[in-house]
Amino acid sequence: MSTIHSRPDEFIATEHKPGVWERSRRARTAILYLLPSIILFSVFVFYPMFRTIYLSFFLTDQAGDAAVFVGLDNYKYLLDSPAFLNSAKATLLFVLYTVPAGILLSLFLALLANEKLRGIGFFRTIYSSTMGVSVAASSVVWLFMFHPSIGMFNRFLALFDFPQIQWLLDPQWALVSVAISTIWMNTGFSFLILLGGLQNIDEHLYESARIDGAGYFYRLRRITLPMLSPTLFFIITISLINAFQTFGQIDILTKGGPAQSTNLIVYSIYREAFVNYQFGTASAQAVFLFLCILVATILQFRFGERRVHYQ
Amino acid sequence: MTMSVPKKITFYTMLTVSAVILFFPIVYAFMISFMTGPEILQGKFFPESFHLDNYIRVFDRLPLLNYLLNSFIVSAGVMLGQLVVCSLAAYAFVFIPFRGSNFVFFLFISTMMIPWEATMIPNFFIIQNLNWLNTYQGLTLPFFALAFGTFLLRQHFKTIPKELHEASQVAGLGPFRFFLKVVLPVSKTSLVTLGAYGFLTTWNMYLWPLLVTTNNSVRTVQIGLKQLQSQEVATDWGVVMAGVIVVIIPTLLLLFLGQKQLQKGLTQGALK
Amino acid sequence: MKKRMRIGFIMVALLALILAACTNSDPGAAPEKSGSGTDDGDKKSEAAVNDEGKVEIEFWHAMSGSGQESLDSIVEGFNESQGDYTVKAEFQGSYEELLTKLRSIGGTKDAPAIMQVFEIGTKYMIDSGYIEPMQKFIDEDGYDLEQLEENILNYYRVDGELYSMPFNSSTPVMLYNKDAFKEAGLDPEKAPETFADVIDTAAKLKTDDMYGFSMLTYGWFFEELVATQGGLYVNEENGRSGDATEAVFNGAEGLNVFRFLNEMNKAGTFGNFGTNWDDIRAAFSSGKVAMYMDSSAGVANAINSSPFEVGVAYIPHADEVERQGVIIGGASLWMSKGIADEEQKAAWEFMKYLTTPEVQAQWHLDTGYFAINPDAYEEDIVKEKWDEYPQFQVTVDQLQDTKPSIATQGALISVFPESRQQIVTALENLYQGADPQKVLDEAAEGTNRAIEIANKTKQ
Repeated sequence: MSTIHSRPDEFIATEHKPGVWERSRRARTAILYLLPSIILFSVFVFYPMFRTIYLSFFLTDQAGDAAVFVGLDNYKYLLDSPAFLNSAKATLLFVLYTVPAGILLSLFLALLANEKLRGIGFFRTIYSSTMGVSVAASSVVWLFMFHPSIGMFNRFLALFDFPQIQWLLDPQWALVSVAISTIWMNTGFSFLILLGGLQNIDEHLYESARIDGAGYFYRLRRITLPMLSPTLFFIITISLINAFQTFGQIDILTKGGPAQSTNLIVYSIYREAFVNYQFGTASAQAVFLFLCILVATILQFRFGERRVHYQ
Repeated sequence: MTMSVPKKITFYTMLTVSAVILFFPIVYAFMISFMTGPEILQGKFFPESFHLDNYIRVFDRLPLLNYLLNSFIVSAGVMLGQLVVCSLAAYAFVFIPFRGSNFVFFLFISTMMIPWEATMIPNFFIIQNLNWLNTYQGLTLPFFALAFGTFLLRQHFKTIPKELHEASQVAGLGPFRFFLKVVLPVSKTSLVTLGAYGFLTTWNMYLWPLLVTTNNSVRTVQIGLKQLQSQEVATDWGVVMAGVIVVIIPTLLLLFLGQKQLQKGLTQGALK
Repeated sequence: MKKRMRIGFIMVALLALILAACTNSDPGAAPEKSGSGTDDGDKKSEAAVNDEGKVEIEFWHAMSGSGQESLDSIVEGFNESQGDYTVKAEFQGSYEELLTKLRSIGGTKDAPAIMQVFEIGTKYMIDSGYIEPMQKFIDEDGYDLEQLEENILNYYRVDGELYSMPFNSSTPVMLYNKDAFKEAGLDPEKAPETFADVIDTAAKLKTDDMYGFSMLTYGWFFEELVATQGGLYVNEENGRSGDATEAVFNGAEGLNVFRFLNEMNKAGTFGNFGTNWDDIRAAFSSGKVAMYMDSSAGVANAINSSPFEVGVAYIPHADEVERQGVIIGGASLWMSKGIADEEQKAAWEFMKYLTTPEVQAQWHLDTGYFAINPDAYEEDIVKEKWDEYPQFQVTVDQLQDTKPSIATQGALISVFPESRQQIVTALENLYQGADPQKVLDEAAEGTNRAIEIANKTKQ
């Protein structure tokens, strides 16, 4: 932001060399183009974020206003609270369950759908369809499929005489179940991006490999994946951020239960804020989550981008 | 490119199996939407008969057409807003190099990491103070600036040859004219992509539209979906599923029609 | 310069677009109410009058599904029954979501005239300063409260004053599968009454496919099982003689409940079907569990969707104590303070309409909630229905048999939603094999902390 400031005394000395005013002309034009974004971000993202940080140092009253300054107590409370540590752990596990599996699945589908076969357009449409189903709608459907007594999954298991699973009710399974449904919801989007990435790969690369008699998996490892790495990098970053912020399916499928096993941080924030009306601790959690995502993204850029192969 | 027959069979088998598994939940919802209460509780897959009672009840219960129209207006509004705001910002990042550009860009990107649920209540106060409850702008304006969109368009604008920029300057085309006449037309696929992305995500929002509306005048379909489910009193699942189908059909259609464009454009964000 | 002007023009155009959207987005709907009334209740504002010259008020509710269907028709009935007022019923999401909105706009011009708040929000609403106690209108109008159900009124009566009008009210009941009872060689007309009976019966009913007993993992049922033993939830006489400072539900009565559930869980006769109403009902209807606790509002549906005969019984109580009865659950209707007199009048008229036997009869039949006006049970339509479903009688009997006391009046704390969450966690941990006293103490501690914060921040 410092770029918009210019000192008038230097302005006088701009007869020959372009001075700060002249040099900052570009910056000023740029700011004009950026203005709508800057204003909107300031009002609807940065201001609320600062307010969140501010509130994280307070206990709030029943109207949601800061009432008692407690310094870092909210943070201390969180780090001591087994419930919050559990949320943090669940969130981390959830990210681990959904991101790699989701991307592998989408990659598999994208590779399949990238083959030039008759009727492939139909399959592509089907594979991308989950993007058009809202989280609210798909959660309702999955809720039904996970149903302990009448759900499809348990009926299927019963068909083969396997023991029944309490999908959303058993703390061992609940997070996995939510992860499965989340992977399904995200498949459409990841698939579309990966498929696009595959189609951008230069056909000649494959042809020369084929002349060398390279097999499918050799080509996959040596050509496809390296060439796809920028796309993979992009989708991993986006998936990571999205997984950290999962909310809708938790609200509908488990409400954070059973035994807090699916109480992801964003859901925990929602509950602190909407049900318990404790903005102090809710805000502290939000700040914590923000830092987590920030660190994850930075790490991802640090270590992930090294492996990315740019053309 | 030709493929041996066994290989073809392998591929088609895998394609079909994947498609069946992936599409199953949607088909399942479709089936349930035709069932009666007892049929659902028995856990059947095929309804005994395809009766439309559930659909009739959904439209009877809720001003669903009104909701659909609102959803359409809100989604289209956010879509247009995002296109304008994000393309302006992305243009500045690519074609107007200035000091601190990277810093501002990083600031933009960092907004992607702030969980929306965490800032929702302060945002609600803002909307209320602006007197924007029950208005379209309360539903749309907070989403106009989008880091993801700016990022996506920036990646695409970067692929526009520098020569084009120089040539336009020689021809005396001002920056804004260049933006309007050259940059936007050649970025059509990215714009379509961002548009579809914005439209779909807005269409799917639930909590925010509920929070900033207190009556049905500008409410969207996702709220309608919630209204079909009961808490203490038993839920009529057939009606809920009929609602689900009605809600997802417009987005699925949009997706099917815009598939090609979408896929082309989405990858632009992925490439440096 | 020129370019900048052009950009400026674009911005102005954008703004104009937004403003245009602003003006026509709310087609003549929101009643214009001037004057905020946040600071004092004396500053009255103009009543909102609609095109037909009727006073128009908003009514916020959290009824979805069939509840909303019935409510809409009641509101329509009121609007047609007289020519002065129009009530607009607006759905606001779940009880929690409604309350979140209310907390932000309570006392402003966006606040509705009538709002539905769940029973555990009672304390918050009284303290909020946004509301006009119902008692004022009852006294002014000489309204006869005697006609309403005493045991329902008790909950919403604080210091002898009725603050809100009870509306959708329910109590827990125990539902059981009569066919399963017969198969197990038990008398289907005699449901178990005490904890020990239930444990015993559950063991006899347990088969490979069917659990003996289940309960929704929901704090409300725990509160009820404590209250029916005469146990309190918090100190200061359940929060009714002053602001509660400490949870006491981890005492002997609470422990009884947790041990009762724990014993069955350990024996494998307890089925855990989670926190979702529909899940546990489906489990019952599909024969996965023989006895379970449900809301009285769910009885009709359970009977209709089960392919076997359904029995309804009182909720069980500990063996060593006498049954005290049940606390009312559900929600009540509150009236805003600081709105125009005419609007308050409209709200009051609507509430009176709502409590008439005819309307309550319809409401009771549509939703299964109690009629707050017992005369409704004398209406022909109700009698017919009761002949068809004699089980309904049990739910009403249980309510009317309740002994009025502080325990069965229910607790008043502002942090009830959070406390319920603590109980849910405790129950879930219990089902995973944790020690009853330990999880209960943890829940009490969590509740205490919430109470402490609430008291500390209260001005």
